[in-house]
Amino acid sequence: MNKTLLHKTFRDLRAARAQSLALIFIVALGIASYIALIGSYRDLGASYKSTYDRLRFADVTFAVSEAPASVLDEIADVAGVTAVTGRLIIDTGYELPNGDQIRARLIGMPADGQPDANQLLIEDGRTLQPTDSDAVILESHFAKFYNLEPGDTVTPIINGQKTALTIVGVGTSPEYLIVSPSQQDILPSARTFAVLFLPLDALQNRLETPDAINNIAIRHQPDADQTKLIAEIQTILEPYQLEATTLQKDVPSNAALQEDLAGFGEISGLMPGLILLVAAISVYVMLGRLVRSQQPQIGLMKALGYSNRVIMLHYLTFSLIIGGTGLILGLLAGPPLAKAITGSYAAELGIPLVETRFYPDLVATSVLLSLLVVVLAGIGPARSSARLAPAEAMRLDPSVALVDGRRSFIERLLPIPFNWRLPLRNVFRMRRRSFTTGLGIIFAFILVLMSWGMLDSMNYMLDTNFNQIEQWDAIAIFDQPQTAAVLDVVRSWEGVTAVEPTIQLPATIKENDHSEDVLLTAFSPEQTMHVLRLADGLTPEEALGDGRIILTIPMADKLGLNIGDDVTLDTPFGTHTLILGGVTEEMMTATAYIAYDDAQKLSPLPTEIFNGLYLTLEPAQAQTIKNDLYHLPGAASVQLKSDIIQDWQSFMGLFYAFMGVMLLFALAMAFALLFNAVTVNVLERQRELATMRAIGASGGQIARQIMAENTILWLLTLIPGLLLGTWVAMQMGAAFSAELFSFQIVISPTSYVFTALGILAIMLLAAIPAIHRINHLDLAEATKVLT
Amino acid sequence: MNQPYLIECHDLVREYKMGQVTVQALRGLELCVDPGEFIVLLGPSGSGKTTTLNLIGGLDRPTSGQIIVQGDEITRYKGKQLTAYRRDRVGFIFQFFNLIPTLTAVENVEFALRLTEKDGRAAAQRSRELLDLVGLADRADHFPAELSGGEQQRVAIARALANQPPLLLCDEPTGNLDVDTGRQVLQVIRDLNRQKGTTVILVTHNTAIAAIADRIIHLHDGVISQIQPNPTPAPIAELDW
Ligand SMILES: Nc1ncnc2c1ncn2[C@@H]1O[C@H](COP(=O)(O)OP(=O)(O)OP(=O)(O)O)[C@@H](O)[C@H]1O
Ligand SMILES: [Mg+2]
Repeated sequence: MNKTLLHKTFRDLRAARAQSLALIFIVALGIASYIALIGSYRDLGASYKSTYDRLRFADVTFAVSEAPASVLDEIADVAGVTAVTGRLIIDTGYELPNGDQIRARLIGMPADGQPDANQLLIEDGRTLQPTDSDAVILESHFAKFYNLEPGDTVTPIINGQKTALTIVGVGTSPEYLIVSPSQQDILPSARTFAVLFLPLDALQNRLETPDAINNIAIRHQPDADQTKLIAEIQTILEPYQLEATTLQKDVPSNAALQEDLAGFGEISGLMPGLILLVAAISVYVMLGRLVRSQQPQIGLMKALGYSNRVIMLHYLTFSLIIGGTGLILGLLAGPPLAKAITGSYAAELGIPLVETRFYPDLVATSVLLSLLVVVLAGIGPARSSARLAPAEAMRLDPSVALVDGRRSFIERLLPIPFNWRLPLRNVFRMRRRSFTTGLGIIFAFILVLMSWGMLDSMNYMLDTNFNQIEQWDAIAIFDQPQTAAVLDVVRSWEGVTAVEPTIQLPATIKENDHSEDVLLTAFSPEQTMHVLRLADGLTPEEALGDGRIILTIPMADKLGLNIGDDVTLDTPFGTHTLILGGVTEEMMTATAYIAYDDAQKLSPLPTEIFNGLYLTLEPAQAQTIKNDLYHLPGAASVQLKSDIIQDWQSFMGLFYAFMGVMLLFALAMAFALLFNAVTVNVLERQRELATMRAIGASGGQIARQIMAENTILWLLTLIPGLLLGTWVAMQMGAAFSAELFSFQIVISPTSYVFTALGILAIMLLAAIPAIHRINHLDLAEATKVLT
Repeated sequence: MNQPYLIECHDLVREYKMGQVTVQALRGLELCVDPGEFIVLLGPSGSGKTTTLNLIGGLDRPTSGQIIVQGDEITRYKGKQLTAYRRDRVGFIFQFFNLIPTLTAVENVEFALRLTEKDGRAAAQRSRELLDLVGLADRADHFPAELSGGEQQRVAIARALANQPPLLLCDEPTGNLDVDTGRQVLQVIRDLNRQKGTTVILVTHNTAIAAIADRIIHLHDGVISQIQPNPTPAPIAELDW
């Protein structure tokens, strides 16, 4: 490539400044988002992992009803086990200084130095000492939310009594990187859920159960046979009513984090891919136009003896410069952006020990990606430039119409009013360009609808769950079975309008080599506080009772079970076989329902007991009743629906922000794409449009004509755009609703309308620079020259 | 009292700045045109013919000087007024026809008509009449690419006449046509001038064509070098070049 040609390239770039910048912007956006999103995705994964390694996160956790500490020695002897920590964990209430009751989890842990599994990262203060009797370490999310520090006092309810404990430290636990209370209740809530770490013997003493533990965390050799090892430990724990065996990946906070991360990963791949695709389309459109408009010059170059290769390279250089500049900007912006995303994400979730790294391989793939994009996009136009025969190319006769006029296909079907005929034919005269532009618009539709669909679906899920499924105002869980007498007491309280007893049990379903933990809830088929949305038009009476069980639709699918199939269930009371009576739509996947009477039969306990309550309340008395419930012996957790909804809303803030950024990306990209496409379309017809101005068309009339063209393109892409957008959103939804949630994509009609109108608005806005340009043309020049 | 001029140009200067260099395309041009006159601007390449025409037609603005058309100083006009001026009072005919390639012959004419005429049916009707006037009724539904150069230029004339302008500006209208076709086009323009009284300013560097004018204005280097009245315009059929 010689210098003159290179100068020409730069001149061409300068002549199309705004468009070149828009292209560079799209490439840079694609590369920056690639590096930032993938980098941040990796950073977050690495941060979790290093935190887990450092704090010796347990590989497996066993929950039992109650066991003597001596089992720990037995477990330590199992081959492959490297660390065993026994703990006593109870859920209880906690009265805030303002009198509100919230949930608290007390974890009694060995206080002689850090435990072998699930250590604490002390962020403030000190670790627990064997001599501490009323000391506590507070989990950091809660501490930060309420501004609590070492020296302050906390007052959980222990054994039915408000107990003052002194904070000696604030720390993070690998089990609570985000504070998800349980698998059915993964929503992290620093506001309503406190995790407190106490010396084990101090807690045992207060609960008057010396020597008792109910939770064993173990670590094992990396190459140990985990299944075998778990089986051996389960045998040891058999006598103590094994309630749950939880693998590291299923620990609620970790499961929620990993799921979140997986969703992040999906988007990290999708977004930059779509943006770079749009970049490719834009480069293709613009370079194609450049080659066409420079036909005479190309002919001249050939006549002067430039080889095809040199000419091709000349035009390819154009796209390489755009790609290269975009790449450099993207590379510069990417890493700081990654750091910012990782940092703010981790800060929002309250995760310490954040690692941000530089990933050379991402830089390498970025280089390849941007090269690929611009070369693929540039090669077509560049080759067509080289293929031109010199004589043909040089036939510079402006009187010969460049395009053959043609009636558009639609005109043959419908009588089109005069004002729409011209825009219609313009859209159809450059079929390939209209097609590629249309493709870009369709991508914009996809991105916008996808973001919007996620928001809608989230809202739909919450609305369905809280307004249609859950009819209770409060839910109470007890860690000891309660008798009918307690039920009568609660019923008699002022402000309690209705009460339904339930029995909640942890259970494991084993089917087809698959094992899934669920929360089993037993209630009367006639109860009204949790509406079962049963498939196939079944009623609760038909699906429950007589040894039948109801599973969620995704759970039944995962286990490959159909209605009428046998379901094998492990509960703390042994193994039972039930029949799948129906499947429901629920927000949380890992839930199952049986009839109250069946649950009585499963357990060896006396009849007419319960450990859970659904209550409806007079709103004014809700807080008081919540406090009263916590003061019942054995109350583990009391939650008001209004509180849960509020937690969701604050959690949704993050989600909204994320989707908002996606939406902005989509709109910015759509604008850049359309700006380029419209500008190219208009420039190519500069002489035509200038002639219209010359014979007296007003600026407004020209504007309307170009807007009409965009409107036609919009109409053509509307249906495929909305359909494909819906389809992609569905795929996203499927990816999103993995283990814990069942996430159903629902897009509201208003979202379709707003998406459609939003894209139209962008398309019309993107035409404004081109219109401005046409309306400020030097008419004398433009009507005589050929562009 | 004398009939007022249709066009008066006073001390017209048009400079082009190209970096450091200033090119003076017009250097104080003075010109008055009577209503109904057929004027030819004649001069060598680069003498400023097109520049003059563009200024009178409102496509361009002078660096200094005045243009008065029908008593209105159009050099004071703002964008909207200038657009209306081009639309209502000037018909333009370009050397390269400048038809809209995606509109048929009749639609090209209709496009210009529709700039003022709101009644679609009337516009379509009148467009066909105009095409008939330039002898192209049978070609009305062809696209420009399907028309010969002469036919295209006649469509352009029909388009220029759409809003019945008092002034027709033609920049080398035959420059791209063979002699026979050129004569046809000139005949149409001449007939318009004679039959409807449309004032015509026609630019050419072809001395032969100049013979059809009422007055020949010789341009040289941005100023008028000679004004040559032509009391006996040549019949177009006898022209040859
Ligand atoms: N846009 C422009 N920029 C710079 N100079 C210009 C421009 N347009 C015209 N000129 C210069 O102004 C002078 C007059 O140009 P004009 O186009 O009026 O000539 P012309 O008489 O129409 O010539 P031709 O017969 O070749 O069409 C020429 O010297 C030309 O180079
Ligand atoms: Mg000229």
